[in-house]
Amino acid sequence: MSAKIETPDLMINAMATEIDNYATVLHGVSSPLPILAMSVARQTHAPDMAYISGAEGVDPELDRIYPSSFDYRHNRNAVAYFGLHEAFDLAQRGELSTMFLGAAQIDRHGNTNLSVIGDIDRPKVQLPGGAASAFLMPITPKVVIWVTRHSNRVFVEEVDFVTGQGYNHRSEEYKKNEIVVISNLGVMNFKNPDRVMQIQYYHPGHTVDEIKENTGFDLKAAPDVAETPVPGQDIIELINHIDPDGVRHSEFR
Amino acid sequence: MKSILTGLQEAAGLVDNGALVTFGGATFSRAPMEFVRELVRQGKKNLNLIDREPAIDFDLLIGAGCVAKVRTGMLGFEVFGMAPNFRRKSEKGEIVTKEGACQPIIAGFRAAAMGLPSLPIKGMLGSDLLTISEVIGSQKQIEDPFTGETMIAVKAIEPDVAVIHAQKADEYGNVRIEGPYYEDVIKAKAAKKVVVTVEELIPNSEIRKKPEATTIPHFIVDAVVETPKGAYPCSCFNYYDVDYEHIQEYLKAAATDQFEQYLDQYVYRRATA
Repeated sequence: MSAKIETPDLMINAMATEIDNYATVLHGVSSPLPILAMSVARQTHAPDMAYISGAEGVDPELDRIYPSSFDYRHNRNAVAYFGLHEAFDLAQRGELSTMFLGAAQIDRHGNTNLSVIGDIDRPKVQLPGGAASAFLMPITPKVVIWVTRHSNRVFVEEVDFVTGQGYNHRSEEYKKNEIVVISNLGVMNFKNPDRVMQIQYYHPGHTVDEIKENTGFDLKAAPDVAETPVPGQDIIELINHIDPDGVRHSEFR
Repeated sequence: MKSILTGLQEAAGLVDNGALVTFGGATFSRAPMEFVRELVRQGKKNLNLIDREPAIDFDLLIGAGCVAKVRTGMLGFEVFGMAPNFRRKSEKGEIVTKEGACQPIIAGFRAAAMGLPSLPIKGMLGSDLLTISEVIGSQKQIEDPFTGETMIAVKAIEPDVAVIHAQKADEYGNVRIEGPYYEDVIKAKAAKKVVVTVEELIPNSEIRKKPEATTIPHFIVDAVVETPKGAYPCSCFNYYDVDYEHIQEYLKAAATDQFEQYLDQYVYRRATA
């Protein structure tokens, strides 16, 4: 590797890789990384994806991102508006392919917590809330969870509260749906018979051991674990072009 | 049709203490902020607020002591961080927070809009949020009578008042929402009373030239208030962008002991200006 690639850009590229061509993809609130990943995917390997903005524009010609993911300027030159309630209808029909969600805590089964740290009735920390997580997590064919601070306070043995459903909290029907976790250290998935989290990729400059040390449960590496593919210069330039103000760095501060 | 054009003070009078209230828009887009400030100025108490993804509108009312209960899918300031008043008062137990999720809240509005007692939805099963909802009686597991599929029935949400900030309306309450529409039309149909604040009043003759642009017709609206910059510091499509600097100023004030000064400067002073 020649120049050092910044962590947000590595994560955005890895998130973009999870979007298939012809996928129908939605992003939610507070989602600069997903917005950039969707933009990268569409301009590289997924030109035919359907892009539904949380700001409600369909297939916008995004030229710049702003701090609010619902900023109407994200709808620039959109072909249509498609409201969140309509995107949710699509999800219930099984036609929303991919969604990006966050997590303040996540466990080995993929359960996420975005609700409270401590007890729900007497929260030590009142978190903002799970938004669409409890609805979309089980029913969406692929959910990508992004975590900007990989530590054993985030990757925990057991979440304080199950906001989004991991594999041990969902019916057989929904166990076939995929969860991918992309952190600042690596990429984790659940592609094993037990549906428990495993390390698939470690980011350049990081190691499998480092990921394990920063995880609060016994996390194994996939047999074919490898270094995370790095984005090309064209992709980095694209990210810089759309996000000149560095909105993507806000979650890392 | 009769004119329902009124003033902000009178319209805010439609919101009783303790009322279940929802607002149009989402996070920093088209929230009815001037109406919210008027609620603060009128010293409303014990409001019961519900929406899927509010931000400064809810946090301001919470900080000003107008709120008893909150139910949202998410209440935060996006990349700027947590909603400071919401977090503080929730952790101190000064407000009752019953977290929902976006879809059950939207489905609850939709049920009310359709005149149904409840609406079945997918997802939710296996989340601890469902447990909370079952306790408060807003969601229940049911079996679909045709397929036997386990579903979640969401109880209808009928707000006492829905307040929508839109771009244009006539004096009768024929409303044009431009750009992203969020659940505003659904909320208007779901609520017992509907207040619409608008950037611009337009003549009924203009409305009649383009009826397809009318998103909410007059017979479900109770009051129209001409309120230019009524969403500020949030955005209003075709009129103005979000004032991100103001959002950060708010956060700074609410995170320190400057919140009273913020209220003095931006909420109370406006009433006497």
